[in-house]
Amino acid sequence: MHFSPLPYLDPGSGSFIIQIAIAALLGLGVALRASWGKIKGFFGKKTKPEDEDDDTADAQN
Amino acid sequence: MPKTDQLNASFRDPSGFLFSRGGVLFRQINRVYAEDYARLMESGLYDRLVKAGLLIPHVEVEAPRAERNRNAEAFKVIQPERVPFISYPYEWSFSQLKDAALATLSIHKRALKYNLALKDASAYNIQFVRGKPALIDTLSFEKYKEGQPWIAYRQFCQHFLAPLALMSYCDVRLSQLLRVYIDGVPLDLASKLLPTRTRLNFGLLTHIHLHAGAEKRFAGESVGQAKMSRNALVGLIESLEVTVRKLSWKPAGTRWWNYYEITNYSDAAFEHKKRLVTEWIARVQPNQVWDLGANTGVFSRVAGASGAFTVSFDIDSAAVEQNYLRAKNNKEQNLLPLQLDLTNPSPALGWANRERESFRERGPADILLALAVIHHLAITNNVPLPQLADFFAEMGKWLVIEFVPKSDSQVQKMLAAREDIFTEYTREGFEAAFGERFKIHESVLVNESERQLYLMEAK
Repeated sequence: MHFSPLPYLDPGSGSFIIQIAIAALLGLGVALRASWGKIKGFFGKKTKPEDEDDDTADAQN
Repeated sequence: MPKTDQLNASFRDPSGFLFSRGGVLFRQINRVYAEDYARLMESGLYDRLVKAGLLIPHVEVEAPRAERNRNAEAFKVIQPERVPFISYPYEWSFSQLKDAALATLSIHKRALKYNLALKDASAYNIQFVRGKPALIDTLSFEKYKEGQPWIAYRQFCQHFLAPLALMSYCDVRLSQLLRVYIDGVPLDLASKLLPTRTRLNFGLLTHIHLHAGAEKRFAGESVGQAKMSRNALVGLIESLEVTVRKLSWKPAGTRWWNYYEITNYSDAAFEHKKRLVTEWIARVQPNQVWDLGANTGVFSRVAGASGAFTVSFDIDSAAVEQNYLRAKNNKEQNLLPLQLDLTNPSPALGWANRERESFRERGPADILLALAVIHHLAITNNVPLPQLADFFAEMGKWLVIEFVPKSDSQVQKMLAAREDIFTEYTREGFEAAFGERFKIHESVLVNESERQLYLMEAK
């Protein structure tokens, strides 16, 4: 598999496989969170824009 | 371009390389990277990262025509902001490595929003700039393609997560494994060393233990058309972030962590010493000060008050940690605390011993502070005074040094359990040895003490 035109880093077969397995699980959480945000949005609750998280992190760093 | 101009830390990535001309650092961007570079600059990611202090800024410069003709691969030449002092992860304290790890993940998360991904996660691509970790490799971004796993996942775990977990759960001194393993701590080794209870931590179980197992199990196997969704990638990065954030280490219990509480200095002596250091720094007007044996950086801050960039070295991980946390809390921008054993300073490492510079190669500093340190080197470590003078003269153009005589209670303690073989260790012997390599400008007895402070200039 060559996603990158310059895959100079060897990602390692095992690392790729475990990454995909773990990430599939973790991705479900991210998807659920996004849906939950939409449901809350539907009922008029404001959700924090994602960028805000980053900018607070800047201020703390 | 003559090959020798290329700096040796940047040869692996075919996207470009670093070179220096007349003492100025440049980075060539090769044609093959043109598209990714344009995306970084035009998408707004570059501006956003620079504004957040997460990426060093650069300017595009005109490459000399002759050079362009000779170098068909060249697309652009950029001049990145110069980092005042290059440091390495084996010289960082726990929180420095942790903040560098979090900065790397934060950069990747932001990049994804602009459809870019971090193609490497090397700890060596992070440097402390104005007190904060920042990415120095402008060529670390590539276009994100939907479905693409994180190519640098293993590198992140080896360079950051494994050493942090080992420092947190086993012993903080295991950061020194990074000095042996230049591409980060092998995950099977980390997995073996970490206590069993770390398997109950979801992040460490997956990213270290299962990861190490998978490396062994699937070594060399083809991964075919392996794909993962964007949500999965975000989930992975967030999981790494949470795992790193939860790791902690309390700086206590090492030999030097409470040094200033147990020192034999009176307040008057301390104040006098501070005044002398302030006066002499003002006189020499250095750009860069190296404080050797800085402990938590009290005198580094005295020197830094002049505006000079100060590197604050100490052997003790707890002292360096406290120094860094203080600098971070106070948002001090011109102070860099680092861990260094003066009796065995960082060597040159990597391919042909030329990838990572030794401590010596990064000198000389404009001025060295060697306060309350000579007795440790001369007596505890048995280095003869002439050799100490040679070393200091090589590492600094000027030197502020404190001579601690044998009658001092600290030296008495050192000699309590051993034979005194140090017949040359007297004030006269010290001045004779250092007089060979330095011009002694000032020599002052510190008030209410037996210690003598000197200002010297290397010959």
